[in-house]
Amino acid sequence: MYTTINKATEFLARSLALLGGCVLLILILLSCISITGRSLSALGLGPVPGDFELIEMGIAFSIFCFLPWCQFNREHARVDLLKHRMSEKINHSINTISEVLMLLLSLLIAWRLWAGMLDKKSYTETTFILQIPLWYAYAAAMIGAVGLVLTCLFCVYRSMCRFRSTSS
Amino acid sequence: MTNLEIGIYSFPVLILLIFLRIPIGLAMLVVGLGGTYAVMGTTVMITGQFKHLVFGTFSSYSLSIIPLFLLMGQFATLSGMSRGLFKASEAWLGHRKGGVAMSAIGACAGFGAICGSSLATAATMGQVALPELKRYGYSDRLATGALAAGGTLGILIPPSVILVIYAILAEQNIAKLFIAAMIPGLLAALGYMLTIAIIVRVSPSAGTTLAPMPYPERFRKLLQVWPVIAIFSLVVGGIYLGFFTPTEAAAVGAACTAVVAIMAKTLSLHSIREAFLSTANTTAMIFLIILGAGVYNSFLALTQLPQSSAIWVAAQDMSPWLILSVVLLLYLIFGCVMDSLSMVLLTVPIFYPIMSVLDFGLPADDFGLWFGILVLIVVEVGLITPPVGMNLFVINKMAKDVPIRETFLGALPFVLTDIIRVFILMAFPSITLALVWFIY
Repeated sequence: MYTTINKATEFLARSLALLGGCVLLILILLSCISITGRSLSALGLGPVPGDFELIEMGIAFSIFCFLPWCQFNREHARVDLLKHRMSEKINHSINTISEVLMLLLSLLIAWRLWAGMLDKKSYTETTFILQIPLWYAYAAAMIGAVGLVLTCLFCVYRSMCRFRSTSS
Repeated sequence: MTNLEIGIYSFPVLILLIFLRIPIGLAMLVVGLGGTYAVMGTTVMITGQFKHLVFGTFSSYSLSIIPLFLLMGQFATLSGMSRGLFKASEAWLGHRKGGVAMSAIGACAGFGAICGSSLATAATMGQVALPELKRYGYSDRLATGALAAGGTLGILIPPSVILVIYAILAEQNIAKLFIAAMIPGLLAALGYMLTIAIIVRVSPSAGTTLAPMPYPERFRKLLQVWPVIAIFSLVVGGIYLGFFTPTEAAAVGAACTAVVAIMAKTLSLHSIREAFLSTANTTAMIFLIILGAGVYNSFLALTQLPQSSAIWVAAQDMSPWLILSVVLLLYLIFGCVMDSLSMVLLTVPIFYPIMSVLDFGLPADDFGLWFGILVLIVVEVGLITPPVGMNLFVINKMAKDVPIRETFLGALPFVLTDIIRVFILMAFPSITLALVWFIY
């Protein structure tokens, strides 16, 4: 049971991270094309229209997609000074508490992102140059935000399993 | 409780949470949100703020440079340029006393010019240089200490992720900051080499010397690292000439390093995946801290603590130099336990307003650059000071059979050079600023 959920979460987080990486790569290509076009404007070429707003939306999407992978791997920066001075049990309880806090945070982020998306939709706000509705970008970011909630859920479960195995 | 008191009391709470191993970014978020609630007495502001805060932060154009520089560093690691840099550096320095360790420092400096992260520099150069240092009979202490210190050149030499963050927080020009960092970065590399020269003279068993290489051979090796020089000039030169924005420069740099990696035939589907995953980890880590620091600092602004403390400090009529020394000392102390990026994000919004009203006999713009470089150096020292210097652990993990104590001891002389360098740069701001004045 645990192994299956562990594998499924890892697959989800990894796929999202790779998706974000691909988007990053596309943005790099886009920037290079845009710069080349701009520098060859004498030949009638030009920058990719709306390149800045595409980069902004794309990077935001990537970062949202990166969050679950970092959470799954417990790679968030923390201070390990007291780790070895505290008992195993205290370490595990603190770990569980921080996973629960992280879950609450991910819920807050996803919930408010959704509300923000509805805002942008009702105001029919669009980007400046390409006139892309801004709520599309929020909706895309929801993928990563929901992925983070699911990963955080698993992480709470994982820390509780570890807590139980040390206390018994 | 007044708002100001809430602001003051939030510090010990935050420090406590961080020391209990709550992730730093999460701790800042929790305290920031709790504090905002305590000041406002309602959650309306928080729920309103969070509608657009997260997306807004992640889609910030100036911050988008960070994942791009990180991916560029990953491609640089894959490209195999690190080995070329080490060989070139060895050709020029290997015949000196302690020459192979000096070559490692030189190669780190070169790698730092295309990589904006210290951990990546330490990890990449460690992989190349550690086995060589071992082969030539260098002591474990010197080998691991030198590489851990050399790794900090990744961030001391531009491009540098910390400088990008500082530029945003203190509203400084990124191109000028990069240029201001160059001479101090080179001084760092020279200082580390000097340290090695002294160590090897004091205990000759610590390192060996290679036969000198003929000059044509030296130039041939140097020519082989032309991509590094080309990419560095393109990225930093392009930003300076206004040819492209810093974000575009990072994208171009990433593309160029990817091309070098393709030519070196090291870019496979597997290695690209690893590069993506590693970029994902670091990017997410950094942005959680950015988010947390943003929420915490906007809570502090609500309590008016930064403004009040700036007024208080100005009214004390203390010597500006004394205040600067205290601030830098605080960074050194906290650097022993905290990670450099969190420190910069957490403290620059508080310290910068205080420092910028003090009179150091510098114009405001120059002060911003000079202070940024000083902060950069003192937070980087934290990477090689025990008990939680990240570079020490990265290198120590690679040199499997070396006890961590040896690595700690090995890094100490380099910490000392760092501190001497900070004093020199403090006493002579023109060392940092000369190149900026000359170019602009």
